[in-house]
Amino acid sequence: MSAIDHYLDVEERENRNSGQGLHSWFRLLGLITDQRGTFAAGAGLILLGSAALLAQPWLLGRAVDIALRPGKGELLGQLALALFALNAVRVTALMAQTYLFEILGQRVMQRLRIQLFSHLQTLPVRTFDKNPVGRLVTRVTNDVSALSEMFSAGFISIIDNLLRVLGTVLLLLWLDWRFALVVLAPFPLLVLLSIHFTGRLRVCYREARAKLSALNAFLAENILGMRVVQLFNREPLHLERFHQVNESYTSATIRTVRTYAYFQPSITWVSGFSMALVIGYGGVQVSEGRMTLGILVSFFALVQALFQPIREIADKWNIFLAGMASVERIFSILDWPREVDVPAVPERASGIASVKGHIRFEDVWFAYDEERWVLQGLNFEIQPGEKIGVVGHTGAGKTTLIQLLLRFHEPQRGRILLDGRDLRDYDKRSLRATIGLIQQDAFLFSGDAEENLGLGRVLDAESRARVEPALKKLGYPHWLGTAEQPALELLERGSNLSMGERQVLAFARAASIGPRLWILDEATANIDPETERALGQVLEASSGGFTSIFIAHRLATVREANRIFVLHRGKLAEEGTHEQLLQVNGLYARLWRFQEPVDNSEAKESSPAPAHPPGA
Amino acid sequence: MKGQTTRLLRAALKKYRKPMAIGLATLTLVDLLEVVPPLLLKDVVDAAVEGSATRALLRLAGLYLLVAFVQGLCRYAWRMYLIRSSMWAGRDLRNRLVDHLFGLSAHFYDRKRIGDLMSHATSDVEAIRMALGPGLLTFGDAVLYLLTVPVAMYVLSPRLTLFAMAPLVLIPFFVHWNQRKVHERFEALQESQSRISAVTQENLGGIRVVKAFAREDAQIQKFAALGEVHVQTSLSLARVQATFGPTLDFTMSLGLVALLYFGGKDVIGSVVTLGTFVAFQRYIEKMVWPMTALGMSVTYYQRALASSGRILELLEERTNVPDPVVPVAPRAAARGKVEFRNLSFRFPGSDKNVLRNLNLVIEPGEKVAFLGAVGAGKSALLSLLVRLYPVERGMLFVDDIDVNDWSVKALRDQVGYVGQEVFLFSDTVAENLGYGVRNLILPESGPHPLVQEAAQWAAVHDDVLGLSEGWGTRLGERGVNLSGGQKQRLTIARALARQPSILVLDDALSSVDVQTEERILQSLRSRKGRNTELVAAHRLSTVRDADRIITLVDGEFRQIGTHAELMKDRRGEYRRFHEQEERREELETFIQDGGSR
Repeated sequence: MSAIDHYLDVEERENRNSGQGLHSWFRLLGLITDQRGTFAAGAGLILLGSAALLAQPWLLGRAVDIALRPGKGELLGQLALALFALNAVRVTALMAQTYLFEILGQRVMQRLRIQLFSHLQTLPVRTFDKNPVGRLVTRVTNDVSALSEMFSAGFISIIDNLLRVLGTVLLLLWLDWRFALVVLAPFPLLVLLSIHFTGRLRVCYREARAKLSALNAFLAENILGMRVVQLFNREPLHLERFHQVNESYTSATIRTVRTYAYFQPSITWVSGFSMALVIGYGGVQVSEGRMTLGILVSFFALVQALFQPIREIADKWNIFLAGMASVERIFSILDWPREVDVPAVPERASGIASVKGHIRFEDVWFAYDEERWVLQGLNFEIQPGEKIGVVGHTGAGKTTLIQLLLRFHEPQRGRILLDGRDLRDYDKRSLRATIGLIQQDAFLFSGDAEENLGLGRVLDAESRARVEPALKKLGYPHWLGTAEQPALELLERGSNLSMGERQVLAFARAASIGPRLWILDEATANIDPETERALGQVLEASSGGFTSIFIAHRLATVREANRIFVLHRGKLAEEGTHEQLLQVNGLYARLWRFQEPVDNSEAKESSPAPAHPPGA
Repeated sequence: MKGQTTRLLRAALKKYRKPMAIGLATLTLVDLLEVVPPLLLKDVVDAAVEGSATRALLRLAGLYLLVAFVQGLCRYAWRMYLIRSSMWAGRDLRNRLVDHLFGLSAHFYDRKRIGDLMSHATSDVEAIRMALGPGLLTFGDAVLYLLTVPVAMYVLSPRLTLFAMAPLVLIPFFVHWNQRKVHERFEALQESQSRISAVTQENLGGIRVVKAFAREDAQIQKFAALGEVHVQTSLSLARVQATFGPTLDFTMSLGLVALLYFGGKDVIGSVVTLGTFVAFQRYIEKMVWPMTALGMSVTYYQRALASSGRILELLEERTNVPDPVVPVAPRAAARGKVEFRNLSFRFPGSDKNVLRNLNLVIEPGEKVAFLGAVGAGKSALLSLLVRLYPVERGMLFVDDIDVNDWSVKALRDQVGYVGQEVFLFSDTVAENLGYGVRNLILPESGPHPLVQEAAQWAAVHDDVLGLSEGWGTRLGERGVNLSGGQKQRLTIARALARQPSILVLDDALSSVDVQTEERILQSLRSRKGRNTELVAAHRLSTVRDADRIITLVDGEFRQIGTHAELMKDRRGEYRRFHEQEERREELETFIQDGGSR
């Protein structure tokens, strides 16, 4: 078997859906419409530069004809000056044009990047379950870069070179059209060759790239599975496979070299043939006095100058195509549907700020996939200001409850009411902004503690006032920056925070938005009892009077709740106070008896499953 | 370090001396011929000025064509020999590197990131390849041009050479300055690019938090600010790069201006012919490339230097569990005796003892189970049996032979180790399960009998037949989705197919449900020629029937005995564990019966 085959098909799958070129083009053009001025200026400079470039051989030819004769010496100074000026103009235009187009390209890139990033923010949570983060990051970084390169190195360079070829041909014809036609006779051959080789190079490049990513996939898998390889003494087998993959990649790159090895000499030959025509035909014309020497000299330079741009175009064409593939991948993401958010009644934000916190689940059914119902007709009511504990086995539907309240997902059947109004009538973002969510793992972002509290937004005075006393009380006043002292800088992945401190941060993050509804999802599962107690106190102070929902695996956490909901298989199995539920002697009571000794001992396992022996 | 690098480069090219020589020879020929066309043009002009020189001119045209033809051939040759050799050398280096990687031990892989290792094997090797191919080429070009073109010019007119070349002298300095600037700003650009990447990664990873707090706007603003930094960095790089080509052009054009003025005077004064004037014009244009190439080849070399430093570092890594000088590699299957003698262990580079003074003799055929919390040292202990980490002499014996005296391969053939991580390759089920079976021949009728048998022992046989393509189903990252329990059973079957004398299961049944676990344990017991088994587990059911059960706390043996013996100790670890387990089982049964109803 060939080891590389398996790694290859994935790459192919990724490349398959390309080929809606024209449509993407128009969308791309749409991005530069407000940069028209820059574009026009750049285009003007390209024209100016090309004109100055072409004028040079012509000027030298003129010099040969008019100045390089006895007695005309005084003209030389002026011509030299003109040549200098011509070059100064050309070079300046070239620099300015390159820079202008870079600005243009970067602006387009930045806009597209933001568009893409913003779009990603609006996608439903479900989309992120299906698409690995790594691949989406690649779209925002690599594909946008490829596009930038396509623009500055590909598109502009192709236009520039096309203009040069056109200008050169026109100038040749203008100087002496008969001579030009003779000299240009091999030119169509050159164009055909270029088209042919460009096509072959594209195939070669694509194959080399596919083989390279196969090689990378092989390495990734083997380094990851190195232990298995070594324990089974199968190194020779894998080395043999790697040598195959490596050989296959090397052959693919060598095919690229070979294609160039044919391409370049064929250009050398065709251009040599053209120059031989210049010498043979032009030289004879001059020696017989039918043409001036100056024209011949101009032709020398112009014919040579004709071949360089053709090669450049051939080179850039592939960069260009690779960029187009990236463009299509980016646009396909921009076409992914956003989170639907059309409230049935557009009252929206008006009522949301003063939500009282009355929650009602009416026969709520929900399934993540089509088959397995996670919630099966859930019914309950929570009064404003109530403190509710939700417990249940793993998979009972506790976390799903939150997902629905936050409207990350919508129930398939039944409805959820907040203050008597269907949740779907609220604007999603304002709804979320009224809910203070504290999760088991406080996701930390890079930056300092205060930035993390605001999740990128600078805390206003009101938000600061909400969290400052609590942080002071808990002993973390330095998390908020002051004029004298900046806020505590967080290390990578928050490694300078303990589990408890991370929860404090999660709490402060929630408190800062002044929530009307608190949801704690296993918020104290991983922290030490002391922090838990302290956190409990400040939490009590902040959330008092507001509806709060505590989801917990450990029953001790919810013991103090006004009511406890016991979820089982997507239904509300039991409900009541701790004492009531113990008396019922049902699921809750058994759960309690199971956990009690653990909670009484010192055991606080880092893993949520109570499957480890105690006394770790 | 430079010496070592040179040695690395030279070693890489050693096999390809001949094609390299051919490549360099043809390159030399191309570059020598580069001098000819301007001379031909000179003759053309001079002949044309003379008049009635049709024959001479046609001869010159023919010559020009001939030169182009030979040059074309040579250009083909140097690509095929020089550049291709560099690719072969790159391939060899990559093979050497990966061969080396396969010989490094667990400790090495604990420390390294996959991404870094991959970039050594690809980007770093490529940087070296570039120095050997295009790098050598540009350097050769630069040297040859500089040795030939000025000479030709000098022969034609020493005075004009001086005027025309004067401005060109600036180019190498400019190229060097420019490349340094470009490098600096390029690094900055990479940095801002990777910050964008990191922030995107972070944002998408925490998208639920962002959404839950409705902070999408703030995140977009932060991202936009980073993007703006990227734009500015790109532009600062562009400012350097945009000046590069045009400045070179301009310098060259100064030579042309000088030529026009001074050369023009010389033509008028008949010091040089018009042909010489034309030839000079071409020569000046030709001189730009070698000046640029000089700067470029320095850059190629510097990048290769950095990359080969990293590669050399990797090649100097040695396994910390090497074979002894005289390895013991018994032919016959091991009896399966294991002995710990005052065994203490700490991970390399750590000063904390994970295992402390363990003493135990496990007789052939015995089944011993280890119980303990996470971090108690079970995994460390079991991993020593296959020498994943080095252990001191005189502490650990297999068949009364110090593990340090065993050939590592022979030891691993005897000890079938199944760890906690389930790793399956992107191959078929049959290939994965037959992974440890030497000379595995896959008959058309189905997999090797050993593999089938192992699959039955590990209670995964029916699962395999239930897969869409049975034994031919592809697994691995891109293969079918299996449950954690199925994967674990496959890895157990994979180990069993090798028929190890000592079977080590390190928490290898954790995702398997209790009933299936029971089946596996039973079939292991009924296995013919039953051998020594060492099992670490979290679950009581896994260990209950072991000949001896050992509880491990903080790297020490706390209790040793059978289930019945350990249960007698009311305050012991085992008893506590057992009670907890019972309550859990009660709860589970309760839940399975339908909860409170």
